[in-house]
Amino acid sequence: MTQSSPIPPVLTLQNIGLIMGTEDATPTGFWFAVLPGASVQMDDLVAVQTTKPDGSPVRFFGIVDHVRTRHEGVKFDSDVQDVIDGILPASVSYAARVLVTRVDPEDFIPPQPGDPVRHAVGEELALALSADKMDYTFAGGLLSDGQVLPVNYQFVNGEQGGHINISGISGVATKTSYALFLLHSIFQGAVLQQRHEGHNTRALIFNVKGEDLLFLDQPNARVDEKENQVGARKGYGAQGRYARLGLPQRPFQNVQFLAPPRSADGDAIVPDVSQRSGGVTAFVFSLREFCERRMLAYVFSDAASSLNLGFVIGNVEERLFRLAHEQKGGGTGLSVQDWRPDESGEIPEDLSFDALGGITITNFGQLISYIEYKLLEEHDGEGDKKWVQKQNPGTLRAFIRRMRGVQKYLSPLIRGDLSAEQAARYRPDVLKAGIQTTVVDIHNLSSPAQMFAVGVLLREVFEHKEKVGRQDTVFVVLDELNKYAPRDGDSPIKDVLLDIAERGRSLGIILIGAQQTASEVERRIVSNAAIRVVGRLDMAEAERPEYRFLPQSFRQRAGILQPGTMLVSQPDVPNPVLVNYPFPAWATRRDEVKVADERPAAEVGAELLGL
Amino acid sequence: MRIRLDPWPVDTHSAQLTLTPFRGNVFDVEGTWRAIAPRPLPSSLRRVLVVDGKPRMEARLLLEDDAQELSVAGFGAYAVGAVDLCPHGTRQARFHGVEARRLLAHSGDLRLSAEELIPKNPQTGRLIYDPLRFRGTDVLGAQAAIQKAMLDAERALASALASALPLDEEDPDMSPDTLVLQDGPVRVGEQGRAVLGYIKSLHTDYLGADRNPLLRDLKCGERTPILRFTVGDTGEGASAGGGQASGREQRFTWFVRLAEAEFYQHPLAGVMRLEMHAPEDVDFVPRAVRDIADLSGTLLCRLGSVPHKDGRAPQNLVPTAALEQEMGRRLGNAELVTRRIRAHLAGQRARA
Repeated sequence: MTQSSPIPPVLTLQNIGLIMGTEDATPTGFWFAVLPGASVQMDDLVAVQTTKPDGSPVRFFGIVDHVRTRHEGVKFDSDVQDVIDGILPASVSYAARVLVTRVDPEDFIPPQPGDPVRHAVGEELALALSADKMDYTFAGGLLSDGQVLPVNYQFVNGEQGGHINISGISGVATKTSYALFLLHSIFQGAVLQQRHEGHNTRALIFNVKGEDLLFLDQPNARVDEKENQVGARKGYGAQGRYARLGLPQRPFQNVQFLAPPRSADGDAIVPDVSQRSGGVTAFVFSLREFCERRMLAYVFSDAASSLNLGFVIGNVEERLFRLAHEQKGGGTGLSVQDWRPDESGEIPEDLSFDALGGITITNFGQLISYIEYKLLEEHDGEGDKKWVQKQNPGTLRAFIRRMRGVQKYLSPLIRGDLSAEQAARYRPDVLKAGIQTTVVDIHNLSSPAQMFAVGVLLREVFEHKEKVGRQDTVFVVLDELNKYAPRDGDSPIKDVLLDIAERGRSLGIILIGAQQTASEVERRIVSNAAIRVVGRLDMAEAERPEYRFLPQSFRQRAGILQPGTMLVSQPDVPNPVLVNYPFPAWATRRDEVKVADERPAAEVGAELLGL
Repeated sequence: MRIRLDPWPVDTHSAQLTLTPFRGNVFDVEGTWRAIAPRPLPSSLRRVLVVDGKPRMEARLLLEDDAQELSVAGFGAYAVGAVDLCPHGTRQARFHGVEARRLLAHSGDLRLSAEELIPKNPQTGRLIYDPLRFRGTDVLGAQAAIQKAMLDAERALASALASALPLDEEDPDMSPDTLVLQDGPVRVGEQGRAVLGYIKSLHTDYLGADRNPLLRDLKCGERTPILRFTVGDTGEGASAGGGQASGREQRFTWFVRLAEAEFYQHPLAGVMRLEMHAPEDVDFVPRAVRDIADLSGTLLCRLGSVPHKDGRAPQNLVPTAALEQEMGRRLGNAELVTRRIRAHLAGQRARA
């Protein structure tokens, strides 16, 4: 208990506490009593030096994961009333628990009760976060005291580890914003320049919700206001969060936007976006490409549900591939000679017959009709033996039924009526020269079409990287991993994602994945991520084994994190660290876009008043 | 027959109530024998200090001098201190001057220097026992010497802290701003100071059968009128007109009820006796004493403890209990001290 004694002499400018003797102090964690006048909060990084009997020092670095106050010297909970009434003397014990992140040198002796504790700043902060062991770092956000969290780039780009996984509740966890902030930090920070990789590191971002990401290249009108508010609240002074992070406050550079076309036919291929009028390119696949590049598998999101169905898909894919190879001349349709529509039960409309009696298939519906003819109708319902491959008609019908089921959704994306030039113009090229960031808007697409687009584009990147190898890292940002790579069941897109997760590291494809619940995502995808990030979590979710990398106190806190605050865990630092990151410098809605010739309101007002 | 419970736990060294009759003279000095209602605390009273002390015998010793003569001695310690509080609750209570001292009490003419117990671990601190001589050869003498040293320290602290209190008949401006509540009777040497002794147990019956019933009827906070008696008056000098008692200290005393007695307790369970110095043979009550008596009910009801937190409730006041605990802490863990003493003596032998 304290008397009215002067502040103990150990409270110098930097000491904030003394290690307590009433709780165990161990090399992995200890409690310290906060000195009067000092303030300690959770996530503060602290340093302690103890001395071995031979006089050599051992330093402990750690992160405060628990702080508490209580009355000491009183026995009953209700004694607080007597204390406040002024009849019972008691003192407040203010104590903090530290999880050790590093012992330097690695002599795992316990610190001694009474050893002074101080905030880790400067060189000690670097040691606490193991930044001295990192050759290339980028900013992962700001710590609670305004210092920068370094993230080891070699654990992101695949050299020592790869992939980033972000979990959190939709809306409040701001997963996509943080993913974009990390990309911004990588692209516009200094790390790529240090490595001379600035020109050919790319990002492929799938926009799955709203049109949030279609304004990445536009400055945000509200960023100054928001950042000034935060700066004033945290007392950062003139130096804002972007300046502290060493990042420019500007939108993404060299961005292309791809969106699906609005309609399934017609010559005018217009991107299906509502908020942004210019700068968005529509993307379509040609029917011939569909066959030639074996995209059929991505039409089926549940191919593994039946072995036989998988077999049929594989076989039809092979047939279509051969068919595409036999095509002569330009165009995007498929010309077939062996289709007798009169034998079909249902003749598709608008079939175009050519001079030799062949038929040119110009849309996805016709392609399905043709496949149906080959499987179930030719030869009085026997089908073409090469296509059928002795499969049960029931399985074949199931195959057609599923094709018909997704026909409506995929027709706008797969076109056979375009000219070769159109096809080339609208082919999605996510690795286009001069483009650093590609945003593919799939939020308007139905689920099967989303699966198809993501699957095909990812495979394209993957195949490209298999050819060119590791250099030129490609970051793939994909939210809703629960949907694309669920823990249960198989799908072609899950296979691609698993490939990326497991082999992408060595190929330089880095998945920045996000999901609401890591427990419902394929375990191998989550476990392959070197950097794990958690925003606000559902409390029940936070107790699942996927989050065991968070110490208990962090798991509890994950339930109350505010937007803009994340827990970041990286391999170099044994404990996760809480960071905040700045408001986006890029617009996330049309009304946030800063108009270039914006004039001060006073000036406009004066004009209106006729002054 | 009705059985009633004494409220204090049986392991405390005495009961709350024994009521041995007081054999000397007790004078009514405040008029009619009736219950007097408490008055609110005056705003001039800014500070109340609850003073207490705690002695402890740590080891009994046998000293052997160069001539192989034996004498008894003891290692002991005491702590005294105060809780400083504002009676109006405007600030938090805090400990004031809680300090412990260690003594080597010895008899005879030995010339001893302080015994210093040096710790093996630098963090555990030194124990220094200063020599203190007492008369006699009784082994209890050491304990008594330490107790007396403690009482002296307690008295010195109390009189240093309390406001001066001139005991005039009527002087409305002399109400004290600092009042000391001292555990036990007031002591010689505290005259002229605002020191109020509170006696937790009722061991002496100053009232007699005719006045006692009022104690049962007191409501919470109410007090009896003030009485005056002479310390150590055995009644033998009464026939000589009180002249025998002159030269001895005189006291004012009154009783206050802090809490209603439960139906199963004896009816004096919540009652406490208070005591202040009285000027010699006066037949009036000084204004200052009456003011303190008037506020004592209000003040003590505020400070009284509750049975589920303190076995000696309500007489063992909340600040007193906290002070006792703090003094125990300052004295250190008795077991560890005993171990240190043993190690120290063993070390002396090894050095010899």
